[in-house]
Amino acid sequence: MTQSQTQKSRIRLFVEEFRSIQRETWLGMGLILPGVIMVSLIVLYPTVRGIWMSFFEKSLLFPQQATWIGLEHYRELLSDSIFHQALWNSILLTSVAVTLEYLLGLGLAIVLKRKVPGIQLFRSVTMVSWVLPVIVMVTIFNFMIQPQFGVVNIILDNLGLPTRFWFGDPDLAMPIVIFMHVWRNAPFFAIALMASMMSIPNDLYEAASMDGATPLQQFRHVTLPNIAYTSMIMVVLHVIYTFNNFDIIFLSTGGGPLNKTEVLATYVYKTAFVQNMLGYGAAIGVTMLLIMLVFTAVYVKLEDTG
Amino acid sequence: MSVVQRFDGWLDNDVSWREAIVVYLVLGLYYTVLLFPVIYLITSTFKTDAVLFAEKLMLLPPANEFTISNYIDVFTRDEFRDYFVNSTIIATATTVVTLVVATLGAYGLSRFEFPGHQYMIVGFISSQMLPRVLILIPFFTVMFTIGLVDTYLGIVFAHSVVTVPFAIWLLKGYFDDIPESLDDAAKMDGCTDIGVLVRVILPLSAPGMSVAGFYTFVGSWNDYLFVSMLSQSQGTRTLPFGLALFQSANAVDWGAVLTAAVITMLPVIILFALVQKYIVAGLAGGGMKGI
Repeated sequence: MTQSQTQKSRIRLFVEEFRSIQRETWLGMGLILPGVIMVSLIVLYPTVRGIWMSFFEKSLLFPQQATWIGLEHYRELLSDSIFHQALWNSILLTSVAVTLEYLLGLGLAIVLKRKVPGIQLFRSVTMVSWVLPVIVMVTIFNFMIQPQFGVVNIILDNLGLPTRFWFGDPDLAMPIVIFMHVWRNAPFFAIALMASMMSIPNDLYEAASMDGATPLQQFRHVTLPNIAYTSMIMVVLHVIYTFNNFDIIFLSTGGGPLNKTEVLATYVYKTAFVQNMLGYGAAIGVTMLLIMLVFTAVYVKLEDTG
Repeated sequence: MSVVQRFDGWLDNDVSWREAIVVYLVLGLYYTVLLFPVIYLITSTFKTDAVLFAEKLMLLPPANEFTISNYIDVFTRDEFRDYFVNSTIIATATTVVTLVVATLGAYGLSRFEFPGHQYMIVGFISSQMLPRVLILIPFFTVMFTIGLVDTYLGIVFAHSVVTVPFAIWLLKGYFDDIPESLDDAAKMDGCTDIGVLVRVILPLSAPGMSVAGFYTFVGSWNDYLFVSMLSQSQGTRTLPFGLALFQSANAVDWGAVLTAAVITMLPVIILFALVQKYIVAGLAGGGMKGI
């Protein structure tokens, strides 16, 4: 084989390689394209429009008219007391609910991991509360806390405690909303954490107990570090889910009584679609988005370094 | 052999019977709180009004107060039959659309290199972070412009967009676990790229497909927010939206409201029972390492 022939076949190989890379690129992009188009049209574009809209005075009643007002809506937010209340309620609900979900889920995961007879049955029914439609969950709880014939009040009455309509009580509405969140989501934490715990190799525990680690120390130094990644994903996902959640509160208390359970999501909905103030509603929505961005960035960063 | 010893034989080596008792106690307490509301809902639908509104705790109705009249009542209402049909069509169509789009996307991300490929999955997942209520304001205008308000297609489209990113993430995790040497072997035998997907990857990721299909179906079936925006008439109303309206209109007819709630949750419970073993396996395996 002469020098030039080798050269030629090298070039041909290179061209073929290049063509196949190009083909791979186009095919890969083509495959993902339908998903990208759908998400862009229904999620990305409306979000950008929503951010843009927050700088305008715009009413649902006259959708063609819009007046540029810059940051005026954001300045209004500073003195809007319902906004302050909703912001506080969102933060309170999210932090309390997700903390309880995590702790309960962790405890349940430790128990569900044990191989006792019948455990498979418990594992399989665990997530039942998580798959229920929100409206069904709200209907059940609403029925159970009705005055007189609601089962919760019947039990309270039998114990000699005062009975009341929980959703209508300013002091109890928020606790029952938190309870519904925890009831619904703690099982998901339990199953995810249990799955993560079961994938920890047994030798790690054996080595630790050889070194004289107590069960508590094993949990601290073997279990916790190994479930850290799953924990982070679950906490971030649920903080976002809970903070943005609309239907649990909208369908149960509607934000009342006296705005005691008003959260940012329900306040955006009311401002935009009940009071017809699209621009102002969008500004509240943008605030939610910013808070979630900051939260996720900080949390992932902390998790990376810690 | 004593009872304790016999019980010991049942247990795994690393669990003592004392531990087992603690485990059962905790489980008993937790599952009472978890399952009581669901069981109480179901049993209440078989109670006559006299028992339903009795100010006395009764989990099961007494034999002479057992009735199925609530079910007859709800099933003879035309609107609920419509809602059931609408929900079934919308959730099924959403599942098909999502699985097709997400399978192609996950295959593209799992097997092909292209510019921006590594940011794609993060981008998809981040799109889930955006507040739905913020999207909703311009979303309605978009749907109105392309004529999809109050149509099956519009609702299916909206639901699919919500479920596609998660399904891509989930399926990519499953596809990544399939060795690429299998792809190469199939290509040697003359399979095209799409042939590899259909003949090699899909059969091997049946559990992943069923889990993705389950999440999608449930997400679509359970949705309230998008349906409440897009559905303007009975022709497109789904069970959850119908149930919410029914409840606010019939605040006193608890028998019918609870029965409608049972009918609304039944399909997702049945599906859940069918796929739950894959869900647990999926969370332990592919599902969580997609990023």
